[in-house]
Amino acid sequence: MNLVENLALGFSTALSLQNLFFCFLGVIIGTLVGVLPGISPLNTTAMLLPFTFGLPPASAMIMLAGIFYGAQYGGSTTAILVNVPGETSAVVTCLDGYQMARQGRAGPALAIAAVASFFAGTVATIVIAVLSAPLAALAMKFTAPEYFSLLVMGLIAAVVLAHGSPFKAIAMVLMGILVGLVGIDVNSGKPRLTFGIPDIADGMDFVPVVVGLFGIGEVIANLGTPQDRSILAGKIKNLMPTWPDLKAAFPAMVRGTCVGTMLGILPGGGAALPPFAAYALEKKVSRHPERFGTGVIEGVASPEAANNAGAQTSFIPLLTMGIPTNPLMALMIGALMIQGIQPGPSVIREQPALYWGVVASMWIGNLMLVVINLPLVGMWASLLRVPYRLLFPAIILFCCIGAYASSNSVFSVWLMLGWGALGYFFNKIGVQPAPMVLGFVLGPLLEENFRRAMLLSGGDPAVFLQRPISATLLAVAAVLLVVLIFPAIRQKREKALQE
Amino acid sequence: MLASVGGKQRGNAPDIAFGAFLILLAVVALWETRALAIGNAADMGPGYVPRALAWIIMGFGLAFVTSGLRATHRSLPRFDLRSFLMVLLSLAVFALLLPKGGLALATFATLACSTFAVSDYRWRESLIFSLVLTAFTVLLFVNGLGLPLAVWPRW
Repeated sequence: MNLVENLALGFSTALSLQNLFFCFLGVIIGTLVGVLPGISPLNTTAMLLPFTFGLPPASAMIMLAGIFYGAQYGGSTTAILVNVPGETSAVVTCLDGYQMARQGRAGPALAIAAVASFFAGTVATIVIAVLSAPLAALAMKFTAPEYFSLLVMGLIAAVVLAHGSPFKAIAMVLMGILVGLVGIDVNSGKPRLTFGIPDIADGMDFVPVVVGLFGIGEVIANLGTPQDRSILAGKIKNLMPTWPDLKAAFPAMVRGTCVGTMLGILPGGGAALPPFAAYALEKKVSRHPERFGTGVIEGVASPEAANNAGAQTSFIPLLTMGIPTNPLMALMIGALMIQGIQPGPSVIREQPALYWGVVASMWIGNLMLVVINLPLVGMWASLLRVPYRLLFPAIILFCCIGAYASSNSVFSVWLMLGWGALGYFFNKIGVQPAPMVLGFVLGPLLEENFRRAMLLSGGDPAVFLQRPISATLLAVAAVLLVVLIFPAIRQKREKALQE
Repeated sequence: MLASVGGKQRGNAPDIAFGAFLILLAVVALWETRALAIGNAADMGPGYVPRALAWIIMGFGLAFVTSGLRATHRSLPRFDLRSFLMVLLSLAVFALLLPKGGLALATFATLACSTFAVSDYRWRESLIFSLVLTAFTVLLFVNGLGLPLAVWPRW
C-alpha cells in the first residue's frame, strides 16, 4: 500500500460519524483541561482511560489523542490571557503572549497560536505518515537484544532531556522498573514484590499509580501554593492578525515546526522541551533579540508550532515501535494493551485501519481546534474565573471514580491514595515523577528482552555489542550519558532548558 | 519555595530525604525477594533482575545521602499538613463508603470532606456545589456511562 491509499483508509476511518464524535469530544475535553491550570492532560487521560475500555480501539485512541493535543492548545489560551501556563508546555507562550494581551492584542496572539498549531499539526501529520512505515519495517527486524538496547537508549534519552537532576531521574527510572516488576513472573510463575496481596498479583495497576502520582499529588501541592489570577477584563475583539504580524509569524512558525518535529520524535522529548528550544532558536536568528519578552509575535508563533508538532510526532516511536517517549504516551500504551493490542511494529500491518485512522484523526482534530475554539475563546476565558477551591474537589472525585472503574475494586482507590502521598513527597523534595512512569511501563519489557537475549547468548553480555543495530543504539545511549556527566556540557544543557 | 539558607550549616535535606527513601525502597525490595531464586546470567531466576535493581537503587540512595550531607544547607520545604491529610482522608472516605453506601453517598462525602482541605471554604457555596456535582456524577457515570455501581446505600 502506498501513502495515498493509507491516508485514504485513515480518513475513511476517522471520518465515520462515531470517530468524528470521539475526536470532537477528545479535543473539547483536552482544551478544557488545558485551559484550567492545575489539571494536566496526564491525569485527565488517566482518569478517562477506564471509560474507553468499552469503545472500539480506534475510537478510544482517537479520543485520547485528541485530549493530548487539545490540552497543548488550551494551555496556550491560559498562558496568553492570564500569564499562568495552563500546561508546562505553555510556559514559554506566557513570555510574549501575555505581553501581547496586555497591549490589547490578545486576539491576534490567540489567533496566531491557533494558526501556528494547525500548521504544525498538518506538517507533523504528514511526517508521521511518511516516516512510520519505514520505521516500523526497520523495527520488525528487531530481536531481543535490539529491543533491550532501544529501551535503554529511550530511557537514557528521557533522562537527559528531563528537567532537574539527571541522577535523580535515573534513580526514578530504576524505581519505576522495580515497581513495574511487581506481580507474577511470567517465566517461573512466582509472585514477586507482591507482599502476598492478591490484588497486585497481576501487577501494579497502571491507572491508580499514575493518577495518584500526578493527579492527587498535584492537587495537594497546588493547595499549598496560593494561586492568583488576574484575568484580562473586557472582551477579546478582532482576532485577525495584521499583515505585518503574519509576515513576521510565518517563518517563525516554520522554524518552530521543524524544531518541534525533530525533538518530538526523540524519546523523552514529547511536549515540554520543543517550545523552549524553539524560543531560544527564535531569539538567536532574530535581528532584534532584545525585543523578545515584550510581546513579539514570533515569540508566540514559534513555540506554539513547536509545541504542537512535538506533541504529535511523539506518537511516532509509540506507534511504530511500541516505545513511549513521555508519560502520556505510556498511558496510550496502557490504553492499547487494555484493548488487547500489543503496541509495536506489527500494529501498522495488522491494524491498518486503527493506525491510519489515528493519524488522520490528528489532522481532523487540529482543524476542529481552529474552527471551534477561536469562536469559543470567550467561553474558555470565563471558565478561568472558576476558583480552584471549587475545582479541586471535583478533580479528587473524578480521580476516585477513575481509579475504581479501572479495576472495579476499591483496592485501586487505596493504591491511588498511597501513590498520591508519594507524589506529594516527590513534589516537595523537588523530584520529577515522570521518569518513574516511563520505567514503570517499560520495566517488564526491559526485563523480558534482557532475559531472553541473555538466554540466547548463553549468558554472554557481549551479544548487545555484537549486533550492529543494538551496538549503535547503545553507542547513542553512551554518548548521551557522557553528555550528561561532563559538567561543561551539563551547564549548557541547564542553560538551554532554563531559557 | 525551596530557598537555600547558605552559611555554615551543612546538609541538603531534600536530597538526604530522597536518598533515605531509595535506601528504604531497596531494603524492602531485597527483603521481599529474599526467597526467590536468582539463577545465573544465562538462565535468570525470578529474583535476578529485581534484586540487582534493588542493589543499584541502594547505591543511588547511599550516594544521595552522602553527597547531601556534604552539600550546602537546604531545609525541607514546609509540608502542607492540612491539605495533605484532608485530601487523603477524602480518598479514604470514598473507598470506605462506596461498597456499602453506594455512589451517591460516597461522592457527596468525598466532596464535602475535600472542601476542608483549604481554609477559605464557604459553607453554602460548597454545599450547593457538592449536591449538584453528586447529581451530575450519578447521572454521568451510572446512567450515562453505565458503570456497574449501586447508587443508594444497601443496609
